[in-house]
Amino acid sequence: MGLDRRRRMSIIITRAGWILSTLLVWQLIVSTRRVSPLILPSLQAIGSSFWSSLITGDLVRYAGVSISLVLAGGLIGTLLAAVLAVAAYQSKFLAGGIDTLTAVAHPLPGIALLPLVILWSGTGITSVLVIIVHSVIWPMTINLRSGFSSVHQRYIDVGRNYGFSRLGIMLHIMIPASWSYMLAGLRIAWARSWRAVISAEMIFGVMGASGGLGWYIFQRRVFMDTAGMYAGIAVLIMIGLVIEDHLFRLLEHKTISRWGGRQ
Amino acid sequence: MNRMKDMTKVLLLIMVSLMLMIGCTRDTEGSVTIADQYGLAYAPLQIAKLQQLIEKRVPDAQVNWVQMANTAAIREAMVSGRVDVGFGAIPPFLIGWDHGMDWKIATGLSRSPLGLVTLDPELQSLRDFSAEDRIALPQPGSIQHMLLSMAAEEQLGSADALDTRIITLSHPDGVSALLSGSIQAHFTSPPYLFTELEQPGAHMLVSGTEAFGEPFSFIVGYASRACYDSKQKLYRACIEAVQEAVTFIEEHPGEAAQLLSQVYEMDQELILKYLTAEGMVYDTQVLGIRKFSEFMHSRGYIEEEPRSLEELFWD
Repeated sequence: MGLDRRRRMSIIITRAGWILSTLLVWQLIVSTRRVSPLILPSLQAIGSSFWSSLITGDLVRYAGVSISLVLAGGLIGTLLAAVLAVAAYQSKFLAGGIDTLTAVAHPLPGIALLPLVILWSGTGITSVLVIIVHSVIWPMTINLRSGFSSVHQRYIDVGRNYGFSRLGIMLHIMIPASWSYMLAGLRIAWARSWRAVISAEMIFGVMGASGGLGWYIFQRRVFMDTAGMYAGIAVLIMIGLVIEDHLFRLLEHKTISRWGGRQ
Repeated sequence: MNRMKDMTKVLLLIMVSLMLMIGCTRDTEGSVTIADQYGLAYAPLQIAKLQQLIEKRVPDAQVNWVQMANTAAIREAMVSGRVDVGFGAIPPFLIGWDHGMDWKIATGLSRSPLGLVTLDPELQSLRDFSAEDRIALPQPGSIQHMLLSMAAEEQLGSADALDTRIITLSHPDGVSALLSGSIQAHFTSPPYLFTELEQPGAHMLVSGTEAFGEPFSFIVGYASRACYDSKQKLYRACIEAVQEAVTFIEEHPGEAAQLLSQVYEMDQELILKYLTAEGMVYDTQVLGIRKFSEFMHSRGYIEEEPRSLEELFWD
């Protein structure tokens, strides 16, 4: 516990050190006045743009829209992936189909599908959700299936001896035992869906209430508010750091390190 | 301690190389980079390119043509010094000017029919849009957005009345979205406008001219100060080339259509029909800039209003 806390502190210190020095270099370059503020605005300008969007509640709302889209899409994608993985585990015949489907769909960037998705399901939230589900479902399916196949036959035999049904074995043995794979899948799914949602929002945003962070940045871009663009990107970075560095690490610590799922 | 030293070294290295990169001027005086966008309103530029009208005037010039997806991209390329002359509509130019971009308008290029098209028979005026209806246009702050705002102000009493229904789509994506029914209306320009209007049931809810109330330039050419100051010869050659191309289309529409049919990969007859369509005018005169800047200033799209036209035009 103490060791882990020290490790986390050291991560924070390293990150803060590098970020602060980068900002220092930034400000030094700005102060030479050789670079147009339209390319590299001063930190004060970015800070005040960040602050004014923060106190009007805009930034929080935009970030909230993007994050809740990822959560909703992530949940749907994970559930669908679980269905696919279980189906593939139970039936050799289905496994072949799911294998092929994964191989075909996994390398496809969600953004490449966007024009098609607009044709199928219009330009509303549904389309963004489709793109997120696409980003989540394939890495999750792959990871869940490797998780299932990594479960030792002995555990399954023990389950049978207890008289578990197929469903019982799935719920009590397969899923808990492959948790670390699931977590790794979630990490990939998060990274992919976060990128997808921001890019999708930048390609077709909706003005007014329902835009997300990608839309926020795009809007700053078309109105040439460079400082605002950087402020939006700063928020993306903060959210990324908090989720990757802390949320997932915490989840890992609370589960795998405690249950000892990894062999 | 050692780590700190390493870090300082790395940072210094980054800083120096960044400054070197930014300080570089990429162009020589003998080359000019011109950025345009896709659409029939840019036709004179294609003619100037195909007939080498700039090279004709400055024989040793290296002329680079780039096509960009929207005016924001052209603006960014011009800020970073990668593009000398860019073509687009007046509102994005004014937004750049308002943010301190050192550029001015060099020439007009075209007037064009623009309009808000719908296929929905229920929609007969701007009043008929429900809260769920979606209107697509290229981007906020674009000429399409400003014209829609003008029409909204006139017909609905407030310039941003329709803003919550706007989604941004590129012109081609907008066409497929309109045809598939996922949006209800599309503010667009030729050839997309003509394609949409040929669909059964298509009708225009508001035209550009109705919204603006008088003729206006759709596409104009802007040049950066760097180009104007240090590449005078090429700058002049560009403007004269545009003028020559405009005259060529006017005097030889058939030949122009033949040349353009390769560029746009469209049927020659169709191009000729579009080139000579009502409202499609190639003209180096710039119209409507006063009204655009007044409107954009009063609705807060630009903070400053130009005091004189000299602030906006090179000559």
